[in-house]
Amino acid sequence: MPPASIQQLAAFSFFAALAVVSALATVMMRNPIRNAVGLFVHVLSLAGLYVSLSAHFLTAVQLIVYVGAVVVLFVFVIMLLGPASEAPSDTAGRLPRGIGAAAMIAAGVFLARVVIDLRPERVANPPGFGTIESVGRELFGPAMIPFEMASVLLTAAIVGAFAVARSHHGKVSMSTGEPSDGSSR
Amino acid sequence: MIIHLGHYLALSCVLFSIGAAGFLFRRNVLISLMSIELMMNAVNLTFIAANRWQPLVTSADGTATAAIPHHGHLFTFFVIAVAAAEAAVGLAIVLAFYRLRKTVRTDAADMLRG
Repeated sequence: MPPASIQQLAAFSFFAALAVVSALATVMMRNPIRNAVGLFVHVLSLAGLYVSLSAHFLTAVQLIVYVGAVVVLFVFVIMLLGPASEAPSDTAGRLPRGIGAAAMIAAGVFLARVVIDLRPERVANPPGFGTIESVGRELFGPAMIPFEMASVLLTAAIVGAFAVARSHHGKVSMSTGEPSDGSSR
Repeated sequence: MIIHLGHYLALSCVLFSIGAAGFLFRRNVLISLMSIELMMNAVNLTFIAANRWQPLVTSADGTATAAIPHHGHLFTFFVIAVAAAEAAVGLAIVLAFYRLRKTVRTDAADMLRG
Protein backbone atom coordinates (compact mmCIF):
# COMPACT_ATOMS: atom_id res chain seq x y z
CA MET A 1 0.00 0.00 0.00
CA PRO A 2 1.48 3.36 -0.96
CA PRO A 3 2.14 5.78 1.90
CA ALA A 4 -0.22 8.38 0.42
CA SER A 5 -3.24 6.11 0.77
CA ILE A 6 -2.24 5.21 4.35
CA GLN A 7 -2.19 8.92 5.18
CA GLN A 8 -5.54 9.33 3.46
CA LEU A 9 -7.04 6.42 5.38
CA ALA A 10 -5.68 7.71 8.69
CA ALA A 11 -6.98 11.24 8.10
CA PHE A 12 -10.40 10.03 6.99
CA SER A 13 -10.76 7.60 9.91
CA PHE A 14 -9.71 10.19 12.49
CA PHE A 15 -11.92 13.01 11.25
CA ALA A 16 -14.89 10.72 10.50
CA ALA A 17 -14.82 9.23 13.99
CA LEU A 18 -14.46 12.70 15.49
CA ALA A 19 -17.38 13.98 13.39
CA VAL A 20 -19.70 11.14 14.44
CA VAL A 21 -18.79 11.37 18.14
CA SER A 22 -19.15 15.16 18.23
CA ALA A 23 -22.46 14.99 16.33
CA LEU A 24 -23.75 12.56 18.97
CA ALA A 25 -22.51 14.91 21.69
CA THR A 26 -24.27 17.81 19.97
CA VAL A 27 -27.66 16.14 20.10
CA MET A 28 -27.36 14.15 23.34
CA MET A 29 -25.73 16.37 25.97
CA ARG A 30 -28.01 17.99 28.54
CA ASN A 31 -26.16 21.25 29.15
CA PRO A 32 -26.52 23.50 26.06
CA ILE A 33 -22.95 24.79 26.40
CA ARG A 34 -21.74 21.21 25.94
CA ASN A 35 -23.96 20.89 22.88
CA ALA A 36 -22.35 24.03 21.49
CA VAL A 37 -18.88 22.62 22.15
CA GLY A 38 -19.95 19.44 20.36
CA LEU A 39 -21.05 21.51 17.37
CA PHE A 40 -17.70 23.33 17.50
CA VAL A 41 -15.73 20.07 17.34
CA HIS A 42 -18.06 18.76 14.62
CA VAL A 43 -17.47 21.77 12.42
CA LEU A 44 -13.70 21.52 12.95
CA SER A 45 -13.67 17.82 11.99
CA LEU A 46 -15.69 18.55 8.86
CA ALA A 47 -13.12 21.19 7.94
CA GLY A 48 -10.49 18.45 8.25
CA LEU A 49 -12.51 16.24 5.90
CA TYR A 50 -12.75 19.13 3.42
CA VAL A 51 -8.95 19.34 3.43
CA SER A 52 -8.78 15.61 2.61
CA LEU A 53 -11.08 16.34 -0.36
CA SER A 54 -8.74 19.19 -1.44
CA ALA A 55 -11.44 21.82 -0.96
CA HIS A 56 -9.10 24.43 0.48
CA PHE A 57 -11.28 27.47 -0.11
CA LEU A 58 -14.30 25.86 1.55
CA THR A 59 -12.17 24.79 4.51
CA ALA A 60 -11.39 28.44 5.12
CA VAL A 61 -15.04 29.43 4.62
CA GLN A 62 -16.17 26.68 6.98
CA LEU A 63 -13.75 27.81 9.69
CA ILE A 64 -14.59 31.49 9.31
CA VAL A 65 -18.38 31.21 9.00
CA TYR A 66 -19.16 28.26 11.26
CA VAL A 67 -16.50 28.43 13.95
CA GLY A 68 -16.16 32.20 13.80
CA ALA A 69 -19.81 33.18 13.48
CA VAL A 70 -22.45 30.48 13.92
CA VAL A 71 -21.03 28.66 16.95
CA VAL A 72 -20.15 31.98 18.61
CA LEU A 73 -23.72 33.18 17.99
CA PHE A 74 -25.06 30.01 19.63
CA VAL A 75 -22.79 30.54 22.65
CA PHE A 76 -23.89 34.19 22.89
CA VAL A 77 -27.56 33.18 23.00
CA ILE A 78 -26.90 30.41 25.54
CA MET A 79 -25.03 32.88 27.74
CA LEU A 80 -27.82 35.43 27.33
CA LEU A 81 -30.51 32.96 28.38
CA GLY A 82 -28.44 31.64 31.26
CA PRO A 83 -29.86 28.69 33.21
CA ALA A 84 -33.14 28.98 31.26
CA SER A 85 -31.41 27.66 28.15
CA GLU A 86 -31.61 24.18 29.66
CA ALA A 87 -35.24 23.14 29.21
CA PRO A 88 -36.62 21.09 32.11
CA SER A 89 -36.87 17.45 31.19
CA ASP A 90 -40.22 15.76 30.98
CA THR A 91 -41.06 12.29 29.78
CA ALA A 92 -44.40 13.10 28.12
CA GLY A 93 -44.45 12.03 24.49
CA ARG A 94 -41.07 10.40 24.78
CA LEU A 95 -42.18 7.18 23.04
CA PRO A 96 -43.36 8.71 19.70
CA ARG A 97 -40.32 11.00 19.63
CA GLY A 98 -38.05 8.04 20.34
CA ILE A 99 -39.70 6.00 17.58
CA GLY A 100 -39.16 8.87 15.14
CA ALA A 101 -35.52 9.25 16.13
CA ALA A 102 -34.88 5.49 15.91
CA ALA A 103 -36.51 5.40 12.46
CA MET A 104 -34.22 8.21 11.31
CA ILE A 105 -31.11 6.41 12.61
CA ALA A 106 -32.23 3.14 10.96
CA ALA A 107 -32.87 4.89 7.65
CA GLY A 108 -29.46 6.58 7.80
CA VAL A 109 -27.62 3.34 8.54
CA PHE A 110 -29.52 1.51 5.79
CA LEU A 111 -28.72 4.23 3.27
CA ALA A 112 -25.08 4.25 4.39
CA ARG A 113 -24.85 0.50 3.74
CA VAL A 114 -26.24 1.06 0.24
CA VAL A 115 -23.94 3.91 -0.78
CA ILE A 116 -20.73 2.64 0.82
CA ASP A 117 -20.12 0.38 -2.19
CA LEU A 118 -20.00 3.26 -4.66
CA ARG A 119 -16.49 3.08 -6.10
CA PRO A 120 -16.12 5.46 -9.05
CA GLU A 121 -12.68 6.00 -10.52
CA ARG A 122 -10.82 8.75 -8.70
CA VAL A 123 -9.22 11.04 -11.26
CA ALA A 124 -5.87 12.63 -10.57
CA ASN A 125 -6.03 15.88 -8.67
CA PRO A 126 -6.04 18.59 -11.36
CA PRO A 127 -3.77 21.56 -10.66
CA GLY A 128 -5.53 24.31 -8.77
CA PHE A 129 -8.55 22.23 -7.82
CA GLY A 130 -10.39 23.77 -4.89
CA THR A 131 -8.06 26.69 -4.42
CA ILE A 132 -9.32 30.22 -3.79
CA GLU A 133 -8.32 31.27 -7.30
CA SER A 134 -10.09 28.52 -9.22
CA VAL A 135 -13.25 28.58 -7.06
CA GLY A 136 -13.25 32.38 -7.18
CA ARG A 137 -13.09 32.38 -10.97
CA GLU A 138 -16.29 30.34 -11.09
CA LEU A 139 -17.85 32.28 -8.24
CA PHE A 140 -17.43 35.58 -10.06
CA GLY A 141 -18.10 34.05 -13.47
CA PRO A 142 -21.06 31.70 -13.95
CA ALA A 143 -22.24 32.05 -10.33
CA MET A 144 -22.12 35.84 -10.24
CA ILE A 145 -25.87 36.47 -9.91
CA PRO A 146 -26.45 33.94 -7.07
CA PHE A 147 -23.40 35.37 -5.31
CA GLU A 148 -24.86 38.87 -5.37
CA MET A 149 -28.25 37.52 -4.32
CA ALA A 150 -26.57 35.89 -1.31
CA SER A 151 -25.48 39.34 -0.15
CA VAL A 152 -29.07 40.56 -0.45
CA LEU A 153 -30.20 37.51 1.56
CA LEU A 154 -27.65 38.17 4.31
CA THR A 155 -28.66 41.84 4.52
CA ALA A 156 -32.33 40.85 4.79
CA ALA A 157 -31.43 38.29 7.47
CA ILE A 158 -29.57 40.92 9.53
CA VAL A 159 -32.49 43.37 9.31
CA GLY A 160 -34.97 40.60 10.10
CA ALA A 161 -32.94 39.41 13.10
CA PHE A 162 -32.88 42.97 14.46
CA ALA A 163 -36.62 43.37 13.93
CA VAL A 164 -37.46 40.07 15.62
CA ALA A 165 -35.03 40.21 18.53
CA ARG A 166 -35.42 43.79 19.71
CA SER A 167 -37.64 44.25 22.75
CA HIS A 168 -41.14 45.59 22.14
CA HIS A 169 -42.10 48.14 24.76
CA GLY A 170 -45.71 48.31 25.88
CA LYS A 171 -46.86 45.16 24.09
CA VAL A 172 -49.24 42.73 25.75
CA SER A 173 -47.55 39.59 27.02
CA MET A 174 -49.07 36.53 25.37
CA SER A 175 -48.35 34.22 28.29
CA THR A 176 -50.09 36.22 31.00
CA GLY A 177 -52.37 38.56 29.04
CA GLU A 178 -51.15 41.51 31.10
CA PRO A 179 -49.30 44.50 29.68
CA SER A 180 -45.59 44.04 30.14
CA ASP A 181 -43.47 47.06 30.93
CA GLY A 182 -40.75 45.91 28.58
CA SER A 183 -38.23 45.70 31.38
CA SER A 184 -38.05 41.92 31.21
CA ARG A 185 -35.49 41.09 28.61
CA MET B 1 -8.05 -0.09 2.00
CA ILE B 2 -8.50 2.98 -0.15
CA ILE B 3 -10.97 5.68 0.74
CA HIS B 4 -13.66 5.96 -1.94
CA LEU B 5 -16.59 8.23 -2.59
CA GLY B 6 -18.85 5.68 -0.91
CA HIS B 7 -17.13 6.14 2.44
CA TYR B 8 -17.73 9.88 2.40
CA LEU B 9 -21.37 9.39 1.34
CA ALA B 10 -21.94 6.78 4.07
CA LEU B 11 -20.43 9.11 6.66
CA SER B 12 -22.68 11.96 5.60
CA CYS B 13 -25.72 9.62 5.71
CA VAL B 14 -24.90 8.78 9.31
CA LEU B 15 -24.29 12.42 10.23
CA PHE B 16 -27.56 13.52 8.59
CA SER B 17 -29.53 10.83 10.40
CA ILE B 18 -27.98 11.87 13.73
CA GLY B 19 -29.05 15.45 13.06
CA ALA B 20 -32.56 14.41 12.01
CA ALA B 21 -32.96 12.15 15.05
CA GLY B 22 -31.80 14.97 17.32
CA PHE B 23 -34.25 17.35 15.69
CA LEU B 24 -37.11 14.91 16.28
CA PHE B 25 -36.14 13.85 19.80
CA ARG B 26 -34.94 16.98 21.58
CA ARG B 27 -37.37 19.59 22.84
CA ASN B 28 -34.90 22.42 23.37
CA VAL B 29 -35.21 25.03 20.62
CA LEU B 30 -31.45 25.70 20.71
CA ILE B 31 -30.62 22.03 20.20
CA SER B 32 -33.17 21.81 17.36
CA LEU B 33 -31.32 24.65 15.61
CA MET B 34 -27.99 22.88 16.20
CA SER B 35 -29.47 19.69 14.67
CA ILE B 36 -30.43 21.68 11.57
CA GLU B 37 -26.81 22.83 11.32
CA LEU B 38 -25.66 19.20 11.60
CA MET B 39 -27.94 18.20 8.70
CA MET B 40 -26.73 21.07 6.52
CA ASN B 41 -23.11 20.15 7.22
CA ALA B 42 -23.80 16.54 6.20
CA VAL B 43 -25.25 17.72 2.89
CA ASN B 44 -22.24 19.99 2.35
CA LEU B 45 -19.94 16.99 2.80
CA THR B 46 -21.93 15.12 0.13
CA PHE B 47 -21.59 17.99 -2.33
CA ILE B 48 -17.83 18.33 -1.83
CA ALA B 49 -17.14 14.58 -1.99
CA ALA B 50 -19.20 14.17 -5.16
CA ASN B 51 -17.37 17.12 -6.71
CA ARG B 52 -14.02 15.47 -5.98
CA TRP B 53 -14.97 12.25 -7.80
CA GLN B 54 -16.60 13.98 -10.74
CA PRO B 55 -15.26 12.55 -14.02
CA LEU B 56 -13.01 14.70 -16.14
CA VAL B 57 -14.78 16.66 -18.86
CA THR B 58 -13.64 15.39 -22.23
CA SER B 59 -14.25 17.10 -25.53
CA ALA B 60 -16.08 15.47 -28.44
CA ASP B 61 -13.00 13.86 -29.94
CA GLY B 62 -12.06 12.45 -26.58
CA THR B 63 -8.58 13.93 -26.41
CA ALA B 64 -8.59 17.24 -24.58
CA THR B 65 -9.62 17.26 -20.95
CA ALA B 66 -10.92 20.40 -19.31
CA ALA B 67 -10.52 21.21 -15.64
CA ILE B 68 -13.14 19.83 -13.25
CA PRO B 69 -15.81 22.45 -12.57
CA HIS B 70 -16.42 23.35 -8.95
CA HIS B 71 -20.21 23.07 -8.99
CA GLY B 72 -20.33 21.18 -5.70
CA HIS B 73 -18.07 23.74 -4.08
CA LEU B 74 -20.29 26.57 -5.28
CA PHE B 75 -23.41 24.83 -3.94
CA THR B 76 -21.70 24.34 -0.60
CA PHE B 77 -20.70 28.00 -0.51
CA PHE B 78 -24.30 29.08 -0.93
CA VAL B 79 -25.55 26.51 1.57
CA ILE B 80 -23.12 27.95 4.12
CA ALA B 81 -24.38 31.47 3.36
CA VAL B 82 -28.01 30.38 3.80
CA ALA B 83 -27.11 28.49 6.99
CA ALA B 84 -25.52 31.61 8.46
CA ALA B 85 -28.64 33.66 7.67
CA GLU B 86 -30.84 30.90 9.09
CA ALA B 87 -28.83 30.76 12.32
CA ALA B 88 -29.06 34.55 12.78
CA VAL B 89 -32.82 34.68 12.22
CA GLY B 90 -33.46 31.46 14.16
CA LEU B 91 -31.58 32.62 17.24
CA ALA B 92 -33.37 35.99 17.09
CA ILE B 93 -36.66 34.07 17.06
CA VAL B 94 -35.44 32.03 20.05
CA LEU B 95 -34.77 35.25 21.99
CA ALA B 96 -38.20 36.69 21.12
CA PHE B 97 -39.84 33.36 22.01
CA TYR B 98 -38.04 33.26 25.36
CA ARG B 99 -39.17 36.81 26.08
CA LEU B 100 -42.79 35.77 25.54
CA ARG B 101 -42.84 32.41 27.27
CA LYS B 102 -39.80 32.34 29.63
CA THR B 103 -38.83 28.91 28.34
CA VAL B 104 -37.04 27.37 25.36
CA ARG B 105 -39.19 24.23 25.16
CA THR B 106 -40.64 23.66 21.71
CA ASP B 107 -43.99 22.52 23.19
CA ALA B 108 -44.52 26.01 24.57
CA ALA B 109 -44.70 27.40 21.04
CA ASP B 110 -48.47 27.10 20.71
CA MET B 111 -49.40 30.77 20.35
CA LEU B 112 -50.94 30.15 16.92
CA ARG B 113 -53.17 27.35 18.17
CA GLY B 114 -56.83 28.31 17.79
